[in-house]
Order: sequence, then structure tokens, then C-alpha cells
Amino acid sequence: MIGYIVRRFFWVLPVVFVVSSVTFMLMHAIPGGPFSAEKALPPAILKNLEAKYHLDDPLWKQYTDYMWGFFRFDFGPSITYESRTVNDIIANQWPVTFMLGLASFAIAVGFGIPLGLISAIKQNTVVDYSAMWFSMLGLSIPNMALGPFLIWIFALKLRWFPVATWGGISHVILPAVTLGTAYMARFARFTRASMLEVLHEEYVQTARAKGVPERWVLLKHAFRNALIAVTTIAGPSFAAVVTGSLIVEQIFAIPGIGRYYVLSVTNRDYPCIMTITLLFAMAIIVMNLLVDLTYAFIDPRIRYS
Amino acid sequence: MKRLCTVGFVLLLLVGLFVGGSAQVKTLYWNLNTEPPTLDPALARDTTSMLVIHQLFVCLTDYNSETGEIVGDLAKSWDVSEDGLKWNFKLREGVIWTDGEPINAYDVVYSMKRMLAPETAAPSANLLWVIKGAEDYNIGNGTADEVGIRVLDKNTVQFELRNPVGFFPALATRVCVMVPEQVVEKFGSKWTEAENIATSGPYMLGEWQHDDHLILVKSPTYYDVANVKIDQIYNYMIVEATTAMSMYEAGKLDVLRIIPLEDMDRIKTDPVLSAEFYQADEFCTYYYGFNNEKPPFDNLLVRKAFASAIDRESLIKYILKGGQKPAQTFTTLHIPGHIDGVAEGIGYPYDPEAAKAYLAEAGYPNGEGFPEVTLMFNTSEAHSTVAQFAQQSLMDTLNVTVKLSNQEWKVYLETCRLDCSQIFRMGWCASYPNGYDYLKRNFYSTIPENNANYKSEEFDHYIDVIESETDPDRIMEAFLGAETLLCDTDCAIVPLYYYTMNELSKPYVLRSFAPTINDIPYFKYWDISLH
Repeated sequence: MIGYIVRRFFWVLPVVFVVSSVTFMLMHAIPGGPFSAEKALPPAILKNLEAKYHLDDPLWKQYTDYMWGFFRFDFGPSITYESRTVNDIIANQWPVTFMLGLASFAIAVGFGIPLGLISAIKQNTVVDYSAMWFSMLGLSIPNMALGPFLIWIFALKLRWFPVATWGGISHVILPAVTLGTAYMARFARFTRASMLEVLHEEYVQTARAKGVPERWVLLKHAFRNALIAVTTIAGPSFAAVVTGSLIVEQIFAIPGIGRYYVLSVTNRDYPCIMTITLLFAMAIIVMNLLVDLTYAFIDPRIRYS
Repeated sequence: MKRLCTVGFVLLLLVGLFVGGSAQVKTLYWNLNTEPPTLDPALARDTTSMLVIHQLFVCLTDYNSETGEIVGDLAKSWDVSEDGLKWNFKLREGVIWTDGEPINAYDVVYSMKRMLAPETAAPSANLLWVIKGAEDYNIGNGTADEVGIRVLDKNTVQFELRNPVGFFPALATRVCVMVPEQVVEKFGSKWTEAENIATSGPYMLGEWQHDDHLILVKSPTYYDVANVKIDQIYNYMIVEATTAMSMYEAGKLDVLRIIPLEDMDRIKTDPVLSAEFYQADEFCTYYYGFNNEKPPFDNLLVRKAFASAIDRESLIKYILKGGQKPAQTFTTLHIPGHIDGVAEGIGYPYDPEAAKAYLAEAGYPNGEGFPEVTLMFNTSEAHSTVAQFAQQSLMDTLNVTVKLSNQEWKVYLETCRLDCSQIFRMGWCASYPNGYDYLKRNFYSTIPENNANYKSEEFDHYIDVIESETDPDRIMEAFLGAETLLCDTDCAIVPLYYYTMNELSKPYVLRSFAPTINDIPYFKYWDISLH
């Protein structure tokens, strides 16, 4: 098991290399730089700025300098936000996104899995149909419509929650619901499908034939196995929600990292683009590893050596 | 029991006092729209940063938006030598930083030379190049000692210019902002953080929670603190216009400057919102430029035909609906150097018959044989709507095919810089209150930003006059000459309209709507009535 984990960690290095070099090449290939503006800067001023941020170095040197810094956790200055380093930005904004992501994930799992479970158990009944209709709705409404809709009802009309901005727990609810709804729907549909599949397996029939109470059949025999499929989507979903969402963060004016990621591309803030891309890539790698390890706990047939 | 009652009474009294006291604190809730990228006056290159900086720091001079005059800020008065080259600024005495250090002529010299130092890489340092030796120092060919800024005495500073630029005090409103040497040198790039900064303006930085909120608090050390009425400005950073609109309606924002287009009709019919709706002029011009070197627009007659075929009035009335003012000249309203093209008959008003005649004269009667041309703009719904209107007008009037093309903002800028399309959208907002900034920085033949590839010796000559003449009449003549060439005789561009800003402002916010540079609100003159 330990050997497996160590080996998986070694795989991170080539992935980081590929992700970083492709990102670096792409961001330098896009026309326009961090200093292009409607009021164009005179060439001499541009030269000063490029010298300040070492953008006048050859590209290979810029790349190696950046990567050397990255491995020492020095992500460089932000070109757009002049008094802040990329480390400052990550340290300030990622925890916010992480909190929001955690809350959304809790909503997604906490409501999605029971919903799927009930649907599967009450297959082809009104309960099943309404649960699936509800999850279909959740999947189809885009965040940019759901967010303002929730604000309109719960903040402007009912005044239960603040309209936007970040603060106490009341500020988390609406954005977390907005972000979590689609994932909740996905969890519900996945849980339902895999439960139905498992319920038709022979060992479940055997358990029933042996006279095991139905509740035990469902929870211990069927649900545990159905969880494998759910875990497969849980990993990437978790990575996705904790790396932020431009739309949700923008609608609710949340100082998260998702917004910075998109803005850094618009602003051509090179160190910011590189760092966030690499950190997000690593988050996905780690989540996938965790998912693979979780399989071993859920399914006794899976063992790593 | 009696003692308990006394304690209770005292507590109640204290609470009452506290509540009563806090009700006196006047707080304005404002939306910055985004995190200010910097609060360092030398490094600012965007309007959000400039807005906050303007509240925090005194400048040498300031713009009075009510009268359009340049007035003193840190400078009490100034005079200029007869040749127009040496400007002596007398500074207000007793002005101090929030950390108690005095501000004097040495701070002015330090701040300006810091801005010019190549390693500071100040994006607007070129505005200071009018000072003798400044350009050389800034581009690494000279030293700081050769720059023509010197301390005459503790309260007098002298600027020696390379040309007798008459609008130097106007230019100073934008670039001559003082920074506290003692703090800058101590904290380096972190000097603008709330825990380090020292400021000199009407407000100081109470709190700066990055990307969330920024609180400005009335500064007790400001020289004119007695006239500052609002105690605190709470700045949100809400990007999404619809969210900001909801915040305004929920009473969490006192002023809303970016109104979602979809709410416009509702605002105009709603009895409450329509009373809080204001339209104010902005110092910005929206225009279509021709690439004067690219066929068929290397032909003056073709340019004239296109310029005469766009109906600005209809564009404003039916498409933009924001009360914009039609523009026939480039420099915007209220700015020294502005020429009223409509009144003076400069530029090309909408005239379909004349347009057809110009095109026929150019060899394309009724558009026959005219090649397909491209109109390019940066990706945005608003620009796209204007472009579609222009495309339709040109097709209807001239029977020509105009292809629309759009690119992401920075890609677009790069395209324009390298090889602009035949027709391109651009805008310009005043950096400081003078038309020189408009004309020189966009159309002087030798500057790289000349996207229109407009080259005219006569035009350049007029610009040279503006930057070297001291007689106001001759300067005005030069402005008239330059605008006439640009928008009429050579028809290098088609100015479409001067921007307006649509704002929602709560009735208890007592304020002016006069246009300011970069739309900077002068909170120091604002007030909030009891509500």
C-alpha cells in the first residue's frame, strides 16, 4: 500500500512538467501581454516594466526561474496586483473558495445520495419520478440563472440571507446551494443508477433469500457496493468545487480563487496563471489518488500492492 | 437591589450614548466593482486604483469639476517664468502625513523622481517627460540629478520643463501625487497595505480586506478636515452588475454606477428608482478609426462617404438609450481644447445623399465594385450592438458589405498595434483635463499608438504649437486646426459619441454630478443627510 502511494506520488512530477510547460507555452502564445491597454504604453515605459518583471529574459529562462521558485513555494509577484505576491493571493483567496467548496460538497453529498437512494428503493413510483425530476432540474439550471434567482427570492423578497459578499455562515448558504445543486443532482442520479444495478446482483438476491432483513440488504449489501461508483465521481467533483467557480464567486461577490484564475488569464498575469493551474492540477491528482485508495476500503476485492 | 438598579441604569445610559453616538457616523456605501490593483500612485494604471488613491493622497494640483478650473491642493499657488519653462509651486504649510511627518518640497522631489526611476517602472511616467531631463532618466540615459525638479526652499518646489507647456498644472492633477518616503523606503512593495501605509488626503485607509472590502476613514490630519462631512466610506468590490443592483435595492449600496442593461426599462418606469436615476457626462469619446493606409480607406473620399453614412442621433436614441452626446470632433466636452463640431460645422454629420456622392466620386457609384471591408471591435455585447447598427447603416446608405469581426480585449489591442483592420473601434478617456492628451497620444505621426496610421505634418505642427505656445488664443487656434484636420479635412476617424454615465444615487446622498477625470468621485465634498 505504502509502496503504491509512493509510486503514485512520483507520477506527479511528469504531470507537473507537462502541465507547466504546456500552460507556459500557451499563455505566451496568446497575443497581448500584461501591459497591453487602451492607453498604450510608450516602448520605453514598456521596457522598464518588462525589466521589472523579468519578462525581457529569454522564455526558457523565465520558465526555469518560475519552476525553480514553484518548487520552493515562491510563486513570484502578481503582475496585475502590484503590492501582492501570488503566494499572498493564494493564501488569501483559496481558503475562502475551499470553505465554499466544502459547504457545497456537503450539500451535494448530504442531499444527493439520500435522494438517489430513495429513488432506487422506490423505483418507478411518484417518489422516484419527483426526485429525478428535481435532480434533472438541478442539472439543467445554470449557476448564472440559479444564483440571481436565489438572491431575488431569499435575499430581496424574504430577506433571510444577505444579497452577496462574504462574512458569516449566512453568507455561505446561497452560494453553496447555487454551486452544490448541480453536483447534488449528479450524485442523486449516480446513486440511483448504481443502486439499481447492485440490487439486481445475485448476492443481493442471495441475501434476501437467506432472510436478511430488507433494511440490512439495502444498506449493508447493496449501498456499500453502490458507493464505489459514487466515489468515482466524488473525487473529481470535490476537486472541482474546492478550486472555485468564476460564476458563483462573481455573482455573490466572494473573494475566492476561482475568479482570480479566470481574471489572471484576462489580465495575462503570467505568474498567477502558472501557479493556479499547477495547484489545481495537483489538487485533481491528489483527489484521484484518494479515490483510488478509498476503493480499497469499500470493496474488499480491490487491494493495492 | 438598589445597587443593581443603579448599575442597570448606568449600563442603559452607556448603551444609549453608544447607539446615539454611532448614529452620528456618516457612512457611504460604495461599490469599487473590483479590487484596486494597487494603491501606489506611481504604479496605478487603472481607474479603480486612481479612485481610491485620489481619496488617500494629496496631489500638487486638483481639478474643480464645477468650474473646470485647475486649483491648488498641496500647492497653495504657483507662477511661471516669462519663457514658460520654470514653474514654481508654493506649498501649503503645515500639511502632514497620517504618521505625523510633515509634507514639504523634499517630498515632492522624492515622489516625482521615484516615479521617474526606471526600476519603479511607473506606467504613467511618460506624462512627466515634459520635465527637463525626465525622459532621459526614465529610459536609463540620464541621472536623477539631471531632472529639472528642485527644492527652492522648504515650501517651494520648481519644475523646469523642456517645452513651455502651458497646461502643466492640469497635467499635475494626474501625476504629481505625493508618496511618504519614510514608509515607502521602510516597507518596499508592501507599503500600501493598511497596517503600513501613511496617507495625506481627506481619507485614510482604515481596512483593506483584499478582494472583499476596503474602508476609508476620514483623516484627522487632512489639511481641510473641517470641511469633510462623510466619516467613512465602505467600499464593496462587486463585479457582477446584477448583484450590485440587488445590493442597491436592498439598501446596502448608496450609489450604483454600472446599471445592468436589462434593468434600464424598469428603472425608468419605477417611481422610486426613476427619481434616483441620473445621467452625467463623462470625459470619454467613442470612435471608429480608419486604417488610413489600408485600401480602400487610403482614399479620402471613401472615408468621407463612410463618415457621412452613420446616423449618430438614431444610434443614441434607439440603440444606446443612455443620453450620450453625438460627437463630430475627438476631444470630449468640457475639456480645454474641445471644439463643438456640430455647432462649428466640423466633421461629418449624417447625410446619406452626400455619402452616396462621395462614394460615387471615389469610383464606386451605388457601391458597385466596392470590396468587402472589415469593422473590428473588442468582444462585448455593447460594442457588437453599435457595430451592427453601423453595418446596417452603411449597407442601407452606401450599398457596401461590411464584415464584423471581434477579438478578446488584449488580443484586439495587439492586432490594432501591429496591423489594425480597415475600420476599428476605439475609445479615449481624458488622463488629465487637456485636449493635448487626446490628440498627441493617439494621432501624432511618430507615436506607436497611432492605430489609424494617420500621418499629417500639418497636424503634427498644430500639436507642436499646443505644447510650446504660451498664448491661449494661439493654443485654441491650434486645437481648432488639429481637430478640423483629423475629423474633417482628412477624415481620419469618425467620432461617434461622448460617453455619459448612468447612475443610481440614493436621495440622502448630497453630491455633485459634474464630470471628473476618470469619473473620480470627490467624496470630500459629498454629504449624507439623515435618513
